[in-house]
Amino acid sequence: MRLMKRGAITVGEDATVREVAQVMVVNRIGYCVVVNDKHEVVGIISPRSILRAFGMDLDRTKAKDILLPHTITITPSSPLSEAVALMLEKRVDHLVVIADRPGSRAVYGILHGEDLVRAMAKNQETKA
Amino acid sequence: MIRVCDLMHKGVLYCYPDDSAQVIADMMATNRIRSVAVVDESGEVWGSVSMLDLLQLYGKKLDKTQAQEIMRPYRIEVDPQWPIEKAIELMKKHRIEHLLIIDPHAGPKRPVGILTDFDIVRYMSHVELGVYEQMLKVPSD
Repeated sequence: MRLMKRGAITVGEDATVREVAQVMVVNRIGYCVVVNDKHEVVGIISPRSILRAFGMDLDRTKAKDILLPHTITITPSSPLSEAVALMLEKRVDHLVVIADRPGSRAVYGILHGEDLVRAMAKNQETKA
Repeated sequence: MIRVCDLMHKGVLYCYPDDSAQVIADMMATNRIRSVAVVDESGEVWGSVSMLDLLQLYGKKLDKTQAQEIMRPYRIEVDPQWPIEKAIELMKKHRIEHLLIIDPHAGPKRPVGILTDFDIVRYMSHVELGVYEQMLKVPSD
């Protein structure tokens, strides 16, 4: 998978929702990967997850309470069509990429929806 | 009270209903945006195309599909003077990532701005616009 970016911005599962929002805003990113003490992926938080927490106490609600579970992951060898299908099914703009090794849940990278759109735009240009 | 117009992006990038998906993909890639409004020649809004709407065409020919075939029709009317809480409730209820804001004084429904889920995250984070640099600075003692 050439489109993914290595590495990701992560927060611990006990970070508060306010902290997660600040990490997103300061880094200007539309996602935040939640990891546990062993740096294994627990899930991902999107702007919509934060939106759902509106009205709750943002300084008490934890990242683990609002995250989308780690099932929304792909590996570097996953076909892009599979990644797109997963994005559409779960309605997320980003997917966490985990290493191909069996049992591994360490963050390997992130696939951004905007990189896919850029590739779609470029492909068509080269064909035309 | 924070109003919708305090947080929305003023101005909207738009295309026409018969523009191809290729045009929209180019607009999104060039401007690094996640949604494009679809308006007719009079400037009246028909709907919007989000990044996920466009991703449905992955692997297909973009120049064979028109904006009006993949757009989500405009249904949810939002006034710029509404309190932000009302807009957030609408976004939560309809599970959408952006709202088109319409000029309430113009006859046709002309979009004047867009409110995205990221604007709400910024509001909820309590980080003011232009304060990133301050936050990233190492405190000197």
